[in-house]
Amino acid sequence: MSGGRDLWSAPLDEPPEDRVQGTWNLLQEVLDPEIPISLPELGLIYGVAYENGVARIDLTFTATACPCMEFIREDITDRLELEHWIDSVELVEVWDPPWTSERITPEGRDKLKKLGVSA
Amino acid sequence: MSEPLDLSTLDSALRNALSRLIITLADSKRLMGIRYSDWTLGAPSIETGVSTASMAQDEWGHARLLYAMLKGLDIDPGPVEYDRSGAEFASIAPLDHERGDWAGLVALMALADGALSTMLRSFAVGRVELAQNRVPKMLAEEEYHASLGSAWYRRLAETEGEARDLLTSASEEMLPALLAWVGADDASARAMVDAGVIDPAEDRLAAFRNAVRDLVSLVGINVDAVHAATDWDEARGRTGGRPDEEACERARGDRNRALLVE
Repeated sequence: MSGGRDLWSAPLDEPPEDRVQGTWNLLQEVLDPEIPISLPELGLIYGVAYENGVARIDLTFTATACPCMEFIREDITDRLELEHWIDSVELVEVWDPPWTSERITPEGRDKLKKLGVSA
Repeated sequence: MSEPLDLSTLDSALRNALSRLIITLADSKRLMGIRYSDWTLGAPSIETGVSTASMAQDEWGHARLLYAMLKGLDIDPGPVEYDRSGAEFASIAPLDHERGDWAGLVALMALADGALSTMLRSFAVGRVELAQNRVPKMLAEEEYHASLGSAWYRRLAETEGEARDLLTSASEEMLPALLAWVGADDASARAMVDAGVIDPAEDRLAAFRNAVRDLVSLVGINVDAVHAATDWDEARGRTGGRPDEEACERARGDRNRALLVE
């Protein structure tokens, strides 16, 4: 089990009205396994879609041989499937555009700065 | 960016040519990773050893993405990655044997890894969408390899004595095979050029020569005067020979296959 699960909350009592936004909100709870900022803050999530109980996540990785790939995939899937309104998760690995540190959000940069990490 | 090819409608000649290119690139990346990893312990400095570890990791990431591209041609990458004999590997010839000295690895880094990047650049701007999407990330990671390779090449070239001699002989040994591979102009390569998958042979060769000309001139080599190797194997898409068996076992992961848990 990775550090990506440290901020997980209990499943929602009611499904969100906007399932796509609700999925994004859940992804904010999934942290990078190595540094405690979320996957959206790190800029790894390129897209979210939701249809008929299936959440589709377009994600990339910081490197083509990121050693945390499996942890990240499992953390996303396990967190989303805690929700009773998500039956399954489809993960689509994308590499275009290539990830660079420019994709880290301002919120992510602030958190990294507090950790003493420059991005 | 060029209009993408519909990979499901390729004729068999083009399909075979494209799979040959992908497998050569993927096998080479996997072997390059092994050659880098051989120097993680034993490089001239701890920092350099860490760099080889990082580059090995990158190369295996690139191999993973390249093998997966075969799915676009309805080829199961599993048997390609894990079930082929060494004689079937298509990695470029300079990767066939472990480099016994650091100068040899520096030549691999600067010249062989550089040749792979030359081909990847050509592939990335061609009409295969999978390459358009995946290769730019590989090339971004390769920038660090090129920087380190160039810096070490210059450092060794400026010395007098054994290090420079070893660098020179390794470069002289590698360049003919690399020129043959980058400049391949056989029926398969021409099919890919005609379909817009890669640039014409003369453009690829010019790009590679431009990339290494100044570096190899530091050891007295005129890359424009070096002739391509003549033992081209059209079926495998590389020059003659094959990688050593130990490297192939490591590339396939034979020893620990039973421990693989999906």
